[in-house]
Amino acid sequence: MLTMLEEVVLLAVDESTGGLRSRGSFGTAYALVGAVFFDLALARRIDTDTEAVTILDRSPTGSAVLDRVLAAMAQRGDITSVRQWIEEIFYRRDDLEGEALASLIRQGILRHEKSKRLWIIDVERFPIVDNRTQRDVRVRIADAILSDTIPNTRDIMLVSIAEPCGLLNYVLTEDQITARRERIQLLRNLETISRKVAHAINDVETSMHHGAPRIM
Amino acid sequence: MIQVTEDTRNGWRVVTVTGRADAESADTLEATLRSAVESNARVVADFAALVYISSAGLRAVLQAARVAQSRGSEFAVCSLTEFVRKVFDMSGLNKILHIHGELPC
Repeated sequence: MLTMLEEVVLLAVDESTGGLRSRGSFGTAYALVGAVFFDLALARRIDTDTEAVTILDRSPTGSAVLDRVLAAMAQRGDITSVRQWIEEIFYRRDDLEGEALASLIRQGILRHEKSKRLWIIDVERFPIVDNRTQRDVRVRIADAILSDTIPNTRDIMLVSIAEPCGLLNYVLTEDQITARRERIQLLRNLETISRKVAHAINDVETSMHHGAPRIM
Repeated sequence: MIQVTEDTRNGWRVVTVTGRADAESADTLEATLRSAVESNARVVADFAALVYISSAGLRAVLQAARVAQSRGSEFAVCSLTEFVRKVFDMSGLNKILHIHGELPC
């Protein structure tokens, strides 16, 4: 089974070109940090309440990304709130997207291609080898949003990460997203981690709007 | 720690939950609630003595509600403490679950 981080990065791969759809935005970067926290929660290494995060188990998960974040958390007993940890991991996030891509390549879901544009600019692409996994992710997101039934935990988390990454447009039409905006917000609001990710993104957008970006 | 007891009153299966619903107890809570909604048409979780609920606890309640919905069973929670009500309100769970002020039976 893929991690939440891998699922959302896989969703960002353009099925026809192998290019990445969402690289570089603040929303994506924060959402990927949120995905790591969801993975740690699913691995039963952390739990959260409305504000605080608790480390339950410091033993390795087997995922290099998760274990690195978990080790960082274990060393910083002074940070206890979900929001503080999202900011902390955001600043030291290294290349979460790159590590997820590398894992997807190792699992045979993607392959890596490098080429040159105008002879000098490196262009990386990640063509999909086996598109069943990405299709499954799309179907789960569409079902979670378009139906009125209660989704399972992973699908709630998936919608919560895909939305701030701007990836819902690749699953649903604009009309569907508009019609189901309330449902999307409902699902995104269910988890403390995604609520705090939304606050972090909102704060960055507000500070940029006022001409003084807090994070570069 | 969590303590879960069950009894039947006026056609409702009442699951009384005492203590803390967190990562440590979420599996017990979810398994009990799932089992109750799988074998009863009407189930209410009495949270009058539930003093704390974490994200793991919320997921357990929500997934039990999901099973009830898929089976066409009636599932409700009741008698929320102030802390638990605040968590339900913040997460929007109050828009998904049937919440009663007191036991409906």
